Amino acid sequence: MKRLTHLPTLRIDPSQEIPLKYNRRTYQGVHGDTVATALFANGVRILARSLKYHRPRGLYSLDGECSNTFMQVNAIPNVCTENTLLRRGMTVEAQNVKGTPETDRMGFMDKLDWAMPAGFYYRTLHKPARIWPLALKQVRKAAGLGVIAPDFEMKGKYDEIYPQADVCVIGGGPAGMSAARAAAAQGLRVILLESRPWLGGFFDYRPAEYHDGVPLYRRARELAQRLEETTNVRIFSHTAMVGAYNNNLITAFQQGGPGDHFDERYIEIRAVSVVVATGCIERPLLFENNERPGVMQIGCAHRLARTYGLLPGEQAVFSIGHDLGLEAAIDLFDLGLKVACVADIREDGQDPRLVDELAARKIPFWRGWVATRAHGKKTVTKVSLSTIPGTQQRDFGCDLLVASAGMTPVTGPLTLAQAQLQYDLHTGFFLPAQLPPKVHAAGRLLGLHDALAIEASGHLAGLEAAADCGVSVDADRQRARENLDSRPGPVRGCKLVLAPVKGRKSFICFDEDTTIKNIQQAIAMGFEATELIKRFTTAGTGPGQGGIPGHNLPLFVAQYLGEASVAAQPTVVRAPLVPTFLATYAGSHHDMCKRTPVHDSQKQAGGVMRRIGVWRRARYFSQDFSCREEIVNVRNNVGMLDASTLGKFRIWGPDALQALQRVYVSDMSKVSEGKVKYSAMCNDDGCIIDDGVVVKRGANDYYFTTSTARAGVTGEWFRYHTRYDGWNFSIVNLTDAFGVINLAGPNARQVLEKVADADVSNAAFPYIGYREFTIRDTIPVRAMRLGFVGELSYELHVPSSYMQALWDILAEAGRELNIRNFGVEAQNVLRMEKCHLIIGAESELRTTLHDVGLGFLWDRTKTAAKTVGAVALRQTAEQEGRLKLVGFKMEDPSRTPKDGSLIVDRAIRGYICIARHSFTLEEPVGLALVEAPLNQEGTRLEIFEDECGDRRLYAKVVPTPFYDPEGTRLRI
Amino acid sequence: MNPEIWRRSPVSFDRRPAQTETRDNWMVVLKYEDESEGPYLIDLSPRTRWDVQDSHLAEIRPGGVPIPDKPGQCTFQKGILVNRMNRTQAAVWHLTGETPEPPAHAAYTDVTESTVFLALVGRRVFAITEKLTSLDFLDPARSAPFLLQGPFSHVPCQVVTLEKSPDRAGILLTCSRGYARDLVAAILDAGEEFGLRPAGQIAFHNWLEELGY
Amino acid sequence: MALTLTCPICGQRNGYEFRYGGEEKGPRPDEEGLSPEDWCDYVHLNKCVAGIQKEWWFHRDGCGAWFTTQRDTTVNLEVEQPEAQL
Repeated sequence: MKRLTHLPTLRIDPSQEIPLKYNRRTYQGVHGDTVATALFANGVRILARSLKYHRPRGLYSLDGECSNTFMQVNAIPNVCTENTLLRRGMTVEAQNVKGTPETDRMGFMDKLDWAMPAGFYYRTLHKPARIWPLALKQVRKAAGLGVIAPDFEMKGKYDEIYPQADVCVIGGGPAGMSAARAAAAQGLRVILLESRPWLGGFFDYRPAEYHDGVPLYRRARELAQRLEETTNVRIFSHTAMVGAYNNNLITAFQQGGPGDHFDERYIEIRAVSVVVATGCIERPLLFENNERPGVMQIGCAHRLARTYGLLPGEQAVFSIGHDLGLEAAIDLFDLGLKVACVADIREDGQDPRLVDELAARKIPFWRGWVATRAHGKKTVTKVSLSTIPGTQQRDFGCDLLVASAGMTPVTGPLTLAQAQLQYDLHTGFFLPAQLPPKVHAAGRLLGLHDALAIEASGHLAGLEAAADCGVSVDADRQRARENLDSRPGPVRGCKLVLAPVKGRKSFICFDEDTTIKNIQQAIAMGFEATELIKRFTTAGTGPGQGGIPGHNLPLFVAQYLGEASVAAQPTVVRAPLVPTFLATYAGSHHDMCKRTPVHDSQKQAGGVMRRIGVWRRARYFSQDFSCREEIVNVRNNVGMLDASTLGKFRIWGPDALQALQRVYVSDMSKVSEGKVKYSAMCNDDGCIIDDGVVVKRGANDYYFTTSTARAGVTGEWFRYHTRYDGWNFSIVNLTDAFGVINLAGPNARQVLEKVADADVSNAAFPYIGYREFTIRDTIPVRAMRLGFVGELSYELHVPSSYMQALWDILAEAGRELNIRNFGVEAQNVLRMEKCHLIIGAESELRTTLHDVGLGFLWDRTKTAAKTVGAVALRQTAEQEGRLKLVGFKMEDPSRTPKDGSLIVDRAIRGYICIARHSFTLEEPVGLALVEAPLNQEGTRLEIFEDECGDRRLYAKVVPTPFYDPEGTRLRI
Repeated sequence: MNPEIWRRSPVSFDRRPAQTETRDNWMVVLKYEDESEGPYLIDLSPRTRWDVQDSHLAEIRPGGVPIPDKPGQCTFQKGILVNRMNRTQAAVWHLTGETPEPPAHAAYTDVTESTVFLALVGRRVFAITEKLTSLDFLDPARSAPFLLQGPFSHVPCQVVTLEKSPDRAGILLTCSRGYARDLVAAILDAGEEFGLRPAGQIAFHNWLEELGY
Repeated sequence: MALTLTCPICGQRNGYEFRYGGEEKGPRPDEEGLSPEDWCDYVHLNKCVAGIQKEWWFHRDGCGAWFTTQRDTTVNLEVEQPEAQL
């Protein structure tokens, strides 16, 4: 097809050809084309088939308001090709067809519409019930548009950006550009979002006069150029605004161009003030076969020629209700389009200059006429026109029917920003009755049509936004308002929705193949509210997000039911306003997690790393996940565990002790230097939330540890529970400052004494001792003798930068003993044999300190401390019916039950917290929370495992700990 | 002290060092091969950082530098950057000079080991940061240096804008040491399109000098 | 996500930087003579005002301050500058 190559309005570069593969054939597009316009240029008129009826569909609006141009592009289904720029190397395929869009073997579906009245799924396919599963299979096969391959992988780079702005302007047309300019002139940071790849809006393609002989398109380019040169304005073009939230949080998606480092990116802006200048789309005219390829809206036809250099047809009929239609007919005629007739829905109100111009070109102009039917099997070949009441009819042969009932304001962003819309009788628009604070609307979406009025309205909105930002603009604002008032106001809108037809093939929603007849059926079944009719008929629930039926549906329903009884109510729109990739929401998706200072060496040593909370930790050191060797080694020799993830804190100051008394259940005044004190923290319900050790390092100066999970929240916990007291204490989180090595096993001392610059004998450094010394004259360590795993062990806290060095030193010192690493799972089994608790494993949100047998930690006498949880601990000390922690052994030692299995009799009586095969005891053991009196020693427990059917496992409650009950091994 | 026992920074760049120096058992990279012309990401983790907490901060002068009155304000004197964090707390970052002796005053905690410490300097730094955070380093209401505490690449960070001018822009940031690798990866990934590269200490000191510090 | 809160130290920030600390209920009562019911009410009973309520927030990702603020729960907007707390 020959391009019009010399129009000054073109957005293509005809000299740069870009090949395109479509349905296995290669076509040529040019730079600036969208995929759809490139195909149109090659004579492709049928771009897709519709969802239900497989009706042929073609170019209709060019702005992505319906699924007519959805295709599979580079294996991504449902890409809207009318606003996807053509790029080199694209492979495009039609979707939802058997065969090609031209000859779709599913085309017969169009004749079956009688079998699919509104809501037929819900009403028919369940009687009798057994047909539903069969029907479901067929429905699933037929439903949906694109198909995604099971092994599909999203390619490309998806990014995110959080730019700063005082004012965010949505819409880069004349109003938006004027608003941005006005706000920027006040020195504010302005962001302008435009969904098309260029600024200009509906000025961009029109040669009509702006003012003083300057054409509109040139004015648009002037405005755009000035904005681009303004340093405090940032323009995001090809960017669809998709969400507006509280306090002017605006989200948008930008499609990357050739020079960009992203394919698509997520944009999030927190603006002080927002200007919505999104303009209008066209309101579709409803008549029989109103979506036949060859039928298109005014802007689509006009922009095909003016923006892409493509005459939309050879012989055209216009059936329109807006002056833009007259303007397009005149301009397209001048560009070489034959115009058989221009039928205007309106009897009067046209711009007389346009009427004169039509007459000058001898184009037949019929007022009060409208298209009633498009003929032609696949594309338009003939059009029937009639008078509005349907009394007279005439047919015209043509291959293009430009049809449009009027304008629809793009109010989606305003609705998302919580503006309430109301029907406006003059314009026929749903307009905001009241705008939310710091949100402004400007331009064509208010019904303005006069070019200068649109700019004035934008200018005023920009100043209003500046005022929101605290800039004093009163005088300017007054002038701007007067200027706007001096221009023509909103124009009267055409209200007609449906031509005088029955509507069996008049499509109100293209995406969902919903006809006027379907709406009438829904109303006949008793639906009155537009919102419910939308749900029942699915009109407006497709990927076009209501772009086609959004305005017509409420108007039609109100007209049909009689406006006196039903006020026109718009249906609700929701974010995202346009379909977006999940990949773009995910953005650069960096998984931020913490690594310990010896992460790499743990991994090199065969550590199987697992994400545990915010950390990555070595869970196993072999593929034997029972960890037998690691466990046996700790019991009989010596092992090393990276315990760096423990929470570590310094707390000091005059009121530090009071703060400790507040959150720890024990009497912390008994913490003495040189010794560690084990204690626990509870919440206000007396439920245990943390345990750890505290040491005193100086006057009012303490160092304490928390569990890994609590490391991030302990600081705020202290501050929260002392927030009314005004105490003077300081707390600093040292979790990441220290690496921790747990050197454990009967031979641990033999390793440590080789490297420590201090006496670490049992006498000099006994159990529960705390010492500070150096290693190899260099590395300062804080050492605690603890026994979490039930053996002689040292917990060495070492500055993180020295952690790897110390690890290597200990590994070297222990080489002759065959020291080896152990991981989190081995530790888990070792400590379970010793019945040392892990909070969260043997406790849950309702487990009190008493329930896990740690009630002895609580000091009942320190009531003045108002210890967190103390009141509840007192109240629950003797409470009956609680789940209590018990140890158990299995009747059949060959089988270890799964963690989380239930303890049952006729009801659920508890559950297993942990159960493992104990290599030390050579039988499975575990801990369970069970209801009293099942916690009595010797009780037989019945265990229900997931999917065990009728089989049960049995266990017996036994005394704890299982291993070394006297604790002699800790003290050697 | 045994000079054979090395301290390790949480940051390691996948680049070949061209020039190194030993400082306090840290192996410090002065320059990497092929540093190009920036923007740069520089590891300052071996640089001493102190936390100061006291109910009377006005009476404390870390290294002789006064602590600013208001949270968010910073003073930068004698190579020491002092950032007021809240009513009772300040961060003290030693950007130049030898390793200082830790003060005896109880208000101080040496937190050098707690955090990873990075500098992001050069052209288009803020084009990189806006991909990672919604924090406003170019806030016209604040003049550099100033402190912002908030999420950067989803991790809580302290960030000081040291210079806003487009050519010599730069921020310093710290966050929990454990996040070092993922944070560096996120920054380098965001900066790739702007030519961001790792650089050594010389680049950092040159930058400070250009700023007149 | 869209909620903003004004931290007394850091100024207005995105809501997801903060942790909710519950309604303002005053200091914990003395243990002496406290019935289980009274205690349970103090810990668990919330007014859940449909309107403006005073509540605690913690600037978790920022300066680490607990503070109170007035929030209109019907629109999820902060209504006044928060009072300064530590």
